[in-house]
Order: sequence, then C-alpha cells, then structure tokens
Amino acid sequence: MNKKLKSTFKSNEIYIFLIIIALGILVQIRSGQFFTGNNMVDLLSAMIVPGMFAVAEFLAIIAGGIDVSFPALASLSAYASTRILLDQNYDGNVILAFVIAMAIGALLGAVNGFLIGYLNLNAMIVTLGTSSVFQGFMQGALRAKQLSVIPSGMKEFGTNSFITATNKTNNLTSILPYTFIILLIVCAVMFFILRYTIFGRGIYAIGGNPVSAHTVGFNVKRTKFFMYIIIGMIAAAGGICRVCMMQQMHPTNMLGMEMNIIAGVVLGGVALTGGAGTLIGCILGTFLIILVQNSMILLGVPTTWSNVFVGIVIVVGVALSAYQSIRTEKTKKKLVKEAA
Amino acid sequence: MSECLLKAEHIQISFGNVHALKDVSLEIVPGEIHCLAGENGCGKSTLIKIISGVHQRNGGTIEFDRKKLEKITPIDAINMGIQVIYQDFSLFPNLTVAENLALNSELASGKKTISWKNVRKIAEEAIKKINMDIDLDEKVSRLSVAQKQMVAISRALMFNAKLIIMDEPTTALTKKEVDALFKIILKLKEQGIAILFISHKLNEVFEISDRFTIFRNGEMVATGSTGELDDKKFTYYMTGREFADKTFIPEKVTDTPIFELRNLSLEGSFENISLSLRGGEILGITGLLDSGRTELALSMFGLKPATSGEIIRNGKPVKITNPREAIASKIGYVPEDRLSEGLFLQRSIGDNIIISEIDSLKKKNGQFDLKKRDEEVDRWVKEFEIKTKNPENPATTLSGGNQQRIVLAKWLACNPDVLILNGPTVGVDIGSKHDIHAILQRLAQKGLGVIIISDDLPEVIQNCSRLLVIKEGSIVAEYDTQQVKEQMIIDAMM
Amino acid sequence: MKKGIAALLCATMVLGLTACGSDTKETSGEKKAEASPASENQSQLASDEAVKKASDEGWEIAVVPKDSTNPWFVRMDTGVEEFADTTGVNCYQIDTGEIDATHQAQMVEDLIAQGVDAICVVPVDVESMDVVLKKAQDAGIVVIAHEGAELKNVDYDIEAFSNAGYGAFIMQNLAEAMGEEGVYTTMVASLTNGSHNEWADAAVEYQKENYPKMTLLEENPRVESNDNGDTAYNAAKELIKTYPDLKGILGTSSYDAPGVARAIQELGLQDKFFTTGTGMPADNAELLKSGVIKSLTLWDPAMSGQAMVSLACKVLAGESITAPLNLNVDGYTEMTEREGSKTVLEGQGWVTIDADNVDSFGF
Repeated sequence: MNKKLKSTFKSNEIYIFLIIIALGILVQIRSGQFFTGNNMVDLLSAMIVPGMFAVAEFLAIIAGGIDVSFPALASLSAYASTRILLDQNYDGNVILAFVIAMAIGALLGAVNGFLIGYLNLNAMIVTLGTSSVFQGFMQGALRAKQLSVIPSGMKEFGTNSFITATNKTNNLTSILPYTFIILLIVCAVMFFILRYTIFGRGIYAIGGNPVSAHTVGFNVKRTKFFMYIIIGMIAAAGGICRVCMMQQMHPTNMLGMEMNIIAGVVLGGVALTGGAGTLIGCILGTFLIILVQNSMILLGVPTTWSNVFVGIVIVVGVALSAYQSIRTEKTKKKLVKEAA
Repeated sequence: MSECLLKAEHIQISFGNVHALKDVSLEIVPGEIHCLAGENGCGKSTLIKIISGVHQRNGGTIEFDRKKLEKITPIDAINMGIQVIYQDFSLFPNLTVAENLALNSELASGKKTISWKNVRKIAEEAIKKINMDIDLDEKVSRLSVAQKQMVAISRALMFNAKLIIMDEPTTALTKKEVDALFKIILKLKEQGIAILFISHKLNEVFEISDRFTIFRNGEMVATGSTGELDDKKFTYYMTGREFADKTFIPEKVTDTPIFELRNLSLEGSFENISLSLRGGEILGITGLLDSGRTELALSMFGLKPATSGEIIRNGKPVKITNPREAIASKIGYVPEDRLSEGLFLQRSIGDNIIISEIDSLKKKNGQFDLKKRDEEVDRWVKEFEIKTKNPENPATTLSGGNQQRIVLAKWLACNPDVLILNGPTVGVDIGSKHDIHAILQRLAQKGLGVIIISDDLPEVIQNCSRLLVIKEGSIVAEYDTQQVKEQMIIDAMM
Repeated sequence: MKKGIAALLCATMVLGLTACGSDTKETSGEKKAEASPASENQSQLASDEAVKKASDEGWEIAVVPKDSTNPWFVRMDTGVEEFADTTGVNCYQIDTGEIDATHQAQMVEDLIAQGVDAICVVPVDVESMDVVLKKAQDAGIVVIAHEGAELKNVDYDIEAFSNAGYGAFIMQNLAEAMGEEGVYTTMVASLTNGSHNEWADAAVEYQKENYPKMTLLEENPRVESNDNGDTAYNAAKELIKTYPDLKGILGTSSYDAPGVARAIQELGLQDKFFTTGTGMPADNAELLKSGVIKSLTLWDPAMSGQAMVSLACKVLAGESITAPLNLNVDGYTEMTEREGSKTVLEGQGWVTIDADNVDSFGF
C-alpha cells in the first residue's frame, strides 16, 4: 500500500463514509428509493442548515471549546433581520437579509468571544448562559412570535430550484434550493481559512496546546474572539437559510438542534478535547445523522423505535472511531518497538 | 573566567510571603554543558522562568551576551537566543512535525497566510541541523517521547539559539534514547551552543556536564567543575545531609523460598521466567525500558495475568489472575507511577494509608470502625516519618518522597509477606530516596521478602542481595551484588 | 359513557355535514356566518331567561384572560364585547397585560374587592389561582374557568371540546379533502404527547366507523413531528417516497399540517395529496388561500368567552346546570359533563378554518 492510501485508511473519515454507503445500500434494499435523484436532493436539502451549524460547531470544538448557543443565536439574528425587512416592506433580493443577519450574528458571537476569549471563561457555561439570554431577549424584548409571511426576496431564494430531480417511476420532483450554495460557500471559505491562514492554524494550535500557542506567539485571546464572531456569522447565515426554506420564521423552531449537531461533529472524528479533526469528517458525520434521521420511514423502522435507532447509530459510530484511534495507537507502539 | 554568556547574580524572587529564591547566582560560559541540580522545590525551575522571561525577578542582576538586562519578556529571551525545552516540550500534538517546526517562523514572518511549500522547506532545514530522520507528515501525537524531544530541540535550534535550557530531559527516555540525546547535546556544544541541563540524576550529571551548580531551598550551595564532584558531595549538596554508604546484607533469611516463579510467560512480553525469593532477602530485577520488567511486575501482582507458568507461595502453587487474589496471597505491589496508579491524590493521607486494609477495619456489625482507623493512620504516619501536620490533608499536599512513603505504608498495612516495588524512587528527591531505601532494608531485616524492579543501577546494587538482569523477556544474568560492577550489568542489559 | 360518545359523534357528524355541504357557495356562506361571533344562536342568547335576568339585575361579570395582549385573547375580548352589546349584560374582559401568574392573581383579588358578581378566568397557573378563587367563592362570587380543568374552587370549568370529539372533527376535515377514500396516516408531536395521541386515536376510530373506503397506513400508522415544521416537512417527503399509495396525513400539532403542506407544494402534489390539522388562521392564511391545505381545525376563543359569560348568567340566575347544557353559543349548545368530574363541562366548540374565513379571526 502506498503512503497516501495507508493514511486514508488510518483516518476516521473513510469509516464514516463506509457507514454512510452501507446504510444507503440497506435503505435501497428495503425501499428501492435510496439511490434516486429526488431522494439525494431531499437529503442534501435537509443537510443545508445542519451542515452550516456543524461547520460553526466544528470551529468551536477544534479550538478546544464548545458552543451550545448557536441555535438561539441563529434564531435571534434571523428573527430580527426578517422583522426589520418586513417592517420596511423590503422587496429586494435576499442579500440584504444575509448582511443584516450576519451583522447581528457577529455582534452576538462577539459577546461569546469576549467572555470566552478575553475573560477566559468556560465555553460550555458561557454559551449555555448566552443561549438563555438570546432566547430571553427574543421572546421578552422583541416579543417574538411566528412570522408567517417573509419578504418575497427571501421566499424566492428559499424555494427557487438550484437542482431539480424528478423520479421517473413515481413522478416525484424534489428541488434543491439555492441555499445549498451558501453551504458550499461556507465550507469552501472555512476550508481555506483553516488550512491556509495563520488565523486558521492558530485555531488548531490553540486546540492542541493553548499554553504553547501563547508561547509560540499566537494571540490566543484575539483568535478565540474572532473565531466566535465567525461562528456567530455562520450560524446567523444558517438561520436565514432556514427561514427562506421554510418560508416562515418560527422563533423557537431551531432550539434544541445543538445536541444532534455536536453528536454529528464528534461522529466525524472531531475530538471534544480539541485540536483533532477535519472539516470533511465534520460534514460526513453530520450527513450520517441527517441520513439516519431521514431514512427511518424508508427503512420501515416503527416510529416507536426510531429514536433508539438514531441513538444506536451515534453510539456505534463514535465507538468505531474510538476503536479506530486505539488501533492506530497500538500499531504505532508496535512500530516504535520494532524500530527500537 | 574568561567571559560569561549568562551571568545571573543575587537573584531574588518571592511569591506572596514565600521567598522562592533568596539569593542565587548562575554563570554559564559559551559552549559549555552546565548542569543545574537540586531537589524538588529548590528553585531551579523558578530561575529558568526568570531567565526566559516568564517571571520577573524582585532583585539581582542578569547579564546575557555582555548586555545588562532589566526586564525580560518571553519574546526578548527568544530573540536574544535563549530557548527552553520544557518537560512537556510545548509541542502541538495535533499538528504534523513539519508544522510544529515551521509555525514559529511563519508567525514571526507576519504573513497572514501559510505556504505549505515554505513550511516543508523550513522543516527540512531544521531537521538537517541534527541529522534527524523523521516523517515530517506524521502527527506529533504519534511520536515517541524521544522523537518529540528531538522535534523540540530542532525547533529550538531554528532561532540561532546561544543557550538551550533543558528541563529534566531524560525523565521518560530509555537508556538508548538518553545516549542519543547526549550525542546531540555534545554536537550542539561543538557548535558553540551552551546547554543548561537540569537533572537530579547523579550519573547523568557526571556523564555529560562540564560544570555544575546546585541549589537548595532557594539558595545556591555549590558550583564548580564536575571533575571536582563525587557521589558523596553531590548528595550532601543536594540534601544537606550525609548518608552512610552501606550495601544491604540480609541477616535473617528463611531456609525455604517464600515466593517462586516457574516458567512464567506472558505472550509478547516475557518468557519462561523462573526465580525464587526467600524471606528477608531483597531481590533486584533490572533491564531496559522495553525488556519486559514492568510486565513481569504486573503479572506477579495479577494486573496482567501470565499466560503460562506457575506462581508458588511457600511451596504451594497459587492462582493470581487479579490483584485481589494477589493480596489474598499476601503479595503487595508498589506501582511505577505512584501518582496515577498508587494514590487517590485528592483523598486524605489517612484514607490512602488504610484503603487496602479497609476490610479489616470493620466492627462486628459491619460498620466502619473510625477509632481503629485513626489508630492505624497514626501508627503508620509515625513509623514512616511522613512529614505532615495533619493526616487528614489531601495526599497532593505531600512531596514526592512522602507520597511514596504513603504508598509503602498503604501496602504494608495489609501485612504482606512479599512486597514488589516497581521503580520505587522514580522522580523522588535524593533525601527521600535514601529514607525509602532505609525503610525497605529495615523491613527485609524483619523477614519480609522484597523484590525491587528498577533501572537505577546504584539503587539495585546498594539495596539488593541478589540481582537478576532481564533482556528481551528473558533472564540473562544473575549477580551477587557484593561482587558486581555497574559496567557488567550494563553489558548484560544491552 | 360509550353511548354518550356515540351520541356525541353523531351530533358532530351532523354538525360536520351541515358545515361541509357539497355546494361550495353555500358552504362558504355558512362558514363565514359560523366564524363570525354573531350567529343565529345570538338571538336566542338575548332571549335566554338567565341572560335577560342578568341584564335586568345589572350583574357584573368580569373575564380574566391569561394575556390580554395576545391575539388569542384579543379575539376572546371581541366575543365578550359582542355578548355585552347584544344582551346588555354588564360583562367585560379586563386588561391583564403580559402573561404573569402573580399579576393575574392580583387582578382577581382586586375584582373580589370590587365585589363583582361573577369572575370568568383562564388561569396562567392553576395552583396559585386556586387559592385566590377560594376567596372569591367565600365572598359569594360565582367562578367560571376555561382551560383550567384541575381547578377545585370553581363552580364550573368549560372546555371547548372533548379530546375524542376533536379527533373525530379533524378526521371529518381530512375525509372531506380526500373525498372519503384512500390511505392516510397520522402525525403527532411525539408519541408521548397525551392530547395529540388521544385526538389521533379518536380520529382513526371515527374513520373506521364512518369512512369504509379510507384505510390507515398499517406499516406506519403514526409519525412524529417534534412540534417542528421542518421535521414534519421531511417526514412527509419520506412518507410520500416510501408509500406511493398514501394520500393524506392527519396532523394534530399546529406545526404538522403547515410542514406537510410545504412538502406537498415542493413535490407538486397539490390536489393529489392532502393534509389537515390544528392551525392558527393568520399563520396559515397563505397556505389555505393557495389551496395546498383545504381546511384546518381550531376552536374559537370568542365563543369560549361568550360561553363562560353565558354560563355565569345561568349560575347567577340559579338555574340548575344539567347535561346536555345549552349555552346558546355556537359549539356550546350541547355541553356534557366530563367523565369523573362534576365541574368540567365539554362542548363541541371546534371550528373549521378555510380560505374563506381565515381572515375573519383577527389572529
């Protein structure tokens, strides 16, 4: 085996990918509906918002932190910006919605970033707290309720088709909205930042060894601060995508997503201790969760058991990746021994 | 002295009311290997932190490269050519070797983006300096301790270092790896780089350093060239005490063996180990880090049950597949890493002592007998001279040597006939080390059978009556410690 | 009791049939009338003896909502005002401001001090309210509650409907949309949600008795929406993919039908696949008008408000309260006692919301 192939098989991503394929084949056997264009489009479209949230969570976890406030943050920024546009009777295109939401998201992210970065408080506690504050602000100060009508630009963006797939046998047509492009952009930009900028490498370095990161010369506080701002912006963009796709704004609808998102990120081989993991793994892990959640009916799993099934896949997936890392650890020891 | 690279004089620092350094001085000349020694808490780490700009001194002067320095920041220290290699190496375990090596210079360049080509180039140049052969794409977390150390050294060399400070660099290395490290240190010396080597291992100080400085309780007690130093002086400077140099001679040895192994094997670790131990004897087992000595110790105590062979107590075969069975057979074990395996660090000293005899501290109705517990705790604290104001303090409040004494007390509390110790004095101050040795010898004289597993050769030679050498999982030599020379053992081990 | 339910179901069916006549024009006209607080019952209300007496005696009846700024209770206020206008009874809804249990208790204390004759209350917190209502009863004030079945210190509590009755009503709506034939399944927020599952069970029961051409999807008779429109949307798409014969989804939570509707829209299945369920008018106006959803079900707070006041008049007038009770308010004309309870009365106060009446509710 050449070196590249070997390292591929050492990685966690390939196993998650294989699980995804195996599950897909299982669904195909049970329903005959997995490898159809419309099903693929359905899955990709279900992936858009969770995918963006996962990338945001991925950043936080890589830096050795965590963020449980992003659903509240996304709800608040998406709600506020939709309300602003409605009040102004805005009928232009969707860009302004993204700009306003991301600006609010950046501001809210800065609150997290200040508390976690500059005051060095525990990320879990801080984001739990800010999550309540964001929710409270939305429900109390803004008296948020469902917005059943959204600006036309947003609605068009969320419903116009980027890819349309029709299943010839049953004539079902699914569309992939343009919001999918936002997910692609977020992934591409974050990939570039994490791989090719000093800032991105700093996030990895801080997650690996915060003390050394400081001694090497990274500005740990500032890096964390800006990272949480970026997390806020991505989450807010995700919130807008959700509103556009649902054609309405539910203030509480996204709350509670954080646990499955974190599970997906960890499933993708991203260590909760920080530093280790890849963007591809994060996306694959999240996709696996989306796939499982959206295949229970196709698989014919009774509703009573579907939560159990989703839970089992998460546990098995995490166990597999843990086993995988133990195994490479062992082969490494063996190699060292042989070399000695 | 011709001219000093580093001249620190009358350095003082205090943290709150504690005078960590009262008045210490240190002089290092270019291209020398200087050893800084002292027991834990003597202030050697504090001085390093002052020199490298982590702490600011309260008094004294520092001159580096003939420049007087007022306030030093970590960046200043690096720019002047001072590099510290801490025990944890300050590496990023999640990044590749190449990135670990290059991150510093990439950051220093002030660019916003990273060129991976450049990273590779920098890394290749760095490892060339010490002729290291390593996969640059490997993650640091997958490297051995020695390899990590080499990476840390190459990284330090990238900054035109004039002085490299190494904080106890040999702690987790095998003998071979230590040799390799020393070769590199000598090579650095040839290039005119001064090395400040921190250690409390006597043999290393003699082997590598040109000159030495010894601290005790925040004060400098001796400095000079290593040639003028010997074992006794070294120990005296370190501890302020003198120890009689007596090799252990067993007095009351039982006629029959109390503990025997017959063809004991553990797949992949050791094979056909046979030995016998009489009461009152201290048996030493030594070997290299990977020789199987630790696995043997674990098998004798049931932590890694042997795959074949017999364990015999007082002539009768016993089954030992877990620690409970070992304790039932009156075998005690003091593990290598007392911090992780031997003690409940957050619990009180007293609780730690009585934990292994907890079953015998019951009243008739099954209730825990608190009075008896306190009596037991008092007894052991006195017997082992554990230095604590209150045995209800957590075990973390004790020094390494005193912690080791608790572990000993803990195992002796259940009255074993056989006591196995794995590296009993690793990381223990010289003074405490002598105390522990004295305790072990006293116990043996009372009839206990003791097995010491250690690669500290002076330790086994001085304290054991017989010595076995294990190599690649088999016993390759047996010596009478009254006659053996260190070099003979080393030859057998290698 | 079983007989009682059967009678009730028959009654609902009749009601449903009248409400959902085949002639669209007629239906819409009728529905409009039904949705507006004023109806034929109104005239009977004015001539009701107890109400007349209340008007003549000048009895003061105060209605205490949970949160007077909430559109739901604004609608209730409309009903109470209408009651006052048509009957001349001195009844009114007080301004409670934002939802707050202590504040609400304070308002009731004030009403006791003022010496009103009857208090009608929709409690925020049952336990704290019960203590205050004890004082009201001790002061000889008549107490009527709504959506507070657990309250002890009340004369009566009014519930808009029984769970079984409402379930059957949702099924009538789905059956009408589906043309009374085809395969359907049910959707609830979660399998552990009490009322949703009772509604769905009753709906299935009702279908078996009344719509022989409809069948429940055996492989997957109940799915979850987690009270989340997006989950409902994805579940609907998956169901449609998996079961090509499926023609309808009976929703219960207010997120179900709108979520399913989004799937219908995207898959281009309008008029081929149907859904209904609980839904708020304003939130779903667009979906109803576009025709993706034919109808949604709900109960009208205006009617609940009127029913409370009407019952208060009867109690004040000393009429004996026996089931079936007619309060002369739409949906509250044949009220029955809840099994095992002497204070809780259940009506048939559900309404259908469709494209025509959706804008008339004001919430």
